[in-house]
Amino acid sequence: MHIPDGLMDPTVLVIGWLIALPVVAYAVYKVSKTIDEKAVPFMAVLAAGIFIAQMLNFPVGGGTTGHLIGATLACILLGVYGSVVVMTVILVIQCLVFGDGGLTALGLNLLNMAVIAPFATAAVLWALKGRRQYTATFTASWMAVFLTATACAMQLAFSYDLSGGDYGIEGIIAIPSMMAWHAVIGIGEGIITTGIVAFLSKVSPESLKMQIGRKHEIDSSGKEVAT
Amino acid sequence: MGRKYLKAIAIIFIIFAIGLVGFYAFSAMYGDGLEKVMQDNGVSEGEPVWTAPLDYGDGYGGSLVMGIIGFFVVMLVFVGLYLLVRSRKRADHSR
Repeated sequence: MHIPDGLMDPTVLVIGWLIALPVVAYAVYKVSKTIDEKAVPFMAVLAAGIFIAQMLNFPVGGGTTGHLIGATLACILLGVYGSVVVMTVILVIQCLVFGDGGLTALGLNLLNMAVIAPFATAAVLWALKGRRQYTATFTASWMAVFLTATACAMQLAFSYDLSGGDYGIEGIIAIPSMMAWHAVIGIGEGIITTGIVAFLSKVSPESLKMQIGRKHEIDSSGKEVAT
Repeated sequence: MGRKYLKAIAIIFIIFAIGLVGFYAFSAMYGDGLEKVMQDNGVSEGEPVWTAPLDYGDGYGGSLVMGIIGFFVVMLVFVGLYLLVRSRKRADHSR
């Protein structure tokens, strides 16, 4: 879902930068103030892992593919501001080093995948507190992808309207198409994220930072016990 | 970096190497959701304003190498963050 150069109207690109930059700056400030230096290697391995996971597109049918965004996974493991920072680093490297996503569209890509996706995750996890852990994780993953795609579709529609059709795609086409494809892609995100969270719950339960779903405690053998 | 992180990196690389086989078997010829919507509506990408030094590679070997390079570039950024956090904490302690 990396927006390339030349797709969106310049006004929409500027709005993307204006919204994304303050949020990213605040997240960097929060993380730098609160992070324990021992957590940085974990953050590094997670970010690098999400980077290469994003290279592995999976087929969703109809001649299209999807890939993990990873914002929900990062949000569960590091909290919402940690997720914003991790996603920002990944998106900037993808853009500047690998040419994935346009430089002018980086503000919108940050807004969609480094701001909307983590905050959507946090909101869904908060709303689903008390539900089963894996249900909450899957739902948050799916919603993060769906809302991110909806935001991208609206940016396409605004671009089309603002430019009189020179940029973007007409809303009546872009919004349902993007929502339909990403409703399916979100299932893949949900399965992968829930699988990783389930794995970490078994081998490294202390790595699950956010209180997701039903509260769990760690017993003396290191196993997770529902309370 | 501790032993558990080295183990985690090794596991990530193994999963990546296996996952790339699936990618080239089933997905490499298709775009993602946004690219599909663009393609269906006859919208093409504009000229990039920045020419990136690398890309994701074309074949299995190239993508594997680029993934590993990307992995370490991301790690390098966090090493910078680690040094920054450490120097800030030391400065706080020395006050």
